[in-house]
Amino acid sequence: MDTPQIHTPQIHTPQIYTPQIYTPQIHPYCTIVPPYLLMRLAQLDVPKFARAAAAARDSLLRDSRIRQLRDGTHPRAHPSARSLPTRTPGESDRTISDAGGLERLPGRRVRTEGQPAGTDPAVTESYDSLGATQAMYWNQFGRDSIDNGGMPMDATVHYGQKYDNAFWDGERMVFGDGDGQVFNRFTISPSVIGHELTHGVTQFTANLEYEGQSGALNESISDVFGALVEQNLRGQPTSAASWLIGEGLFTEQVEGIALRSMKAPGTAYNDDVLGKDPQPDSMAGYIETDDDNGGVHLNSGIPNRAFYLVAEAIGGNAWEMPGRIWYDTLTGPMLRPQSDFAAFAAATADTAAHLYGNGSTAHDAVLRAWATVGVVAAVPSPLPNTTGTPSAPGISLPPAYSAPLVDPLAPMLPEPPRGPTAGQPSG
Amino acid sequence: MKVIVSRSGGMAGIRLTWEVRVEEQPDPATWADFLDSLPWDDVTDSVATADRFAYRIRCAPHEVVLAEPEVNGPWRDLVNRVKAANGM
Repeated sequence: MDTPQIHTPQIHTPQIYTPQIYTPQIHPYCTIVPPYLLMRLAQLDVPKFARAAAAARDSLLRDSRIRQLRDGTHPRAHPSARSLPTRTPGESDRTISDAGGLERLPGRRVRTEGQPAGTDPAVTESYDSLGATQAMYWNQFGRDSIDNGGMPMDATVHYGQKYDNAFWDGERMVFGDGDGQVFNRFTISPSVIGHELTHGVTQFTANLEYEGQSGALNESISDVFGALVEQNLRGQPTSAASWLIGEGLFTEQVEGIALRSMKAPGTAYNDDVLGKDPQPDSMAGYIETDDDNGGVHLNSGIPNRAFYLVAEAIGGNAWEMPGRIWYDTLTGPMLRPQSDFAAFAAATADTAAHLYGNGSTAHDAVLRAWATVGVVAAVPSPLPNTTGTPSAPGISLPPAYSAPLVDPLAPMLPEPPRGPTAGQPSG
Repeated sequence: MKVIVSRSGGMAGIRLTWEVRVEEQPDPATWADFLDSLPWDDVTDSVATADRFAYRIRCAPHEVVLAEPEVNGPWRDLVNRVKAANGM
């Protein structure tokens, strides 16, 4: 058997081995020895082939693609992932494009991953905040980008003329420059960028319909994780954070500090032109409207405040226990595209009980928060079960109101597929 | 005759409304012809996209709701004209 003697010297010869091992040139070598043969060699337990077996094991370990073939445990990357052979899970893969004032996407590519900052603040801000968003999702929740499969994060800046908006179009984040009178550029706020990217995460997980209460939950989840991105970036615990969404977005001409306040919905602005922040802070103020897809940006104040109340009760960093409860709920099996506030409340309570124990501080905080904002009935005190042991699934919370305030809506589309790894952070 | 354009939604969730009284415009006949020419009955339900604007356009007896990506052609023209008449 000549094969080991032929290949062992090549693997252990520094002049050949060292420069080739992390370059594409190693691959022709690896293709000369088929993976199945390397695996057989690696498993040899015969003393005279010990060097060959060790060399084969080295090769298998060093080549990630062969490693995938060996144990089959490496998660498959999303088909859209770029730079697949060299990408490490959790790494950012950002591309910023410039629409140049037109409403055409994607625009001209101006910065890709790893390129140095230029002079355009919109490009720098979007690049940095996308990185902060990716870092928080990966470091805190083990989520690898929008789809948990390393999906590239693409954004377009300078969209349209004086465009007063930012949005997620299903594939990319898009940011306008604002009109300069009411709004500054939308990249100025990390919470706005975290908000937009989270719409992508929701699309790949619970896929909440953008209408009525499910739409308001979709919006609230974007606000929650947008706020967490900003707090995490600044190292602010709950007590020090502003809990504002879009701080700095208004120009100095506007009487307001931000688009929304999660801590005190309805107090972010009160301006002659814009009017007063219309967000309700509890179900008592729930707004029924046909505008804004059934008030998705209005009634989101209710679940927003519930999250703040949970964070306030638990204390510390909101991206830790409170964030984990919301993230596991978003990516778990309990939500449906048409889930309403009551269903979401029950799901977060279940998640808290599973994570931290039935009757735990976190579980209690969740139940009381939803009761405070009027989504569920008042919580008995003390809680019925205070054993501290994880509960069985299926805690049901009766709604505090007798009938849905928003009629269930027929699906506008067939249920889209969930993300390929929804609910299973790769860790 | 009055035409009202109401824009809601967007990331900010702020509703803005612009209104034009046709008879008070310098060219009311042009406005009336333009409003008559709009495809009021051709609007179909649209799919909502996260953080895009939603436009509600009213001109009795007509009323349509358009998602932002559908505000093209004559609708885009109308929205721009109404905003321009309001100094925007």
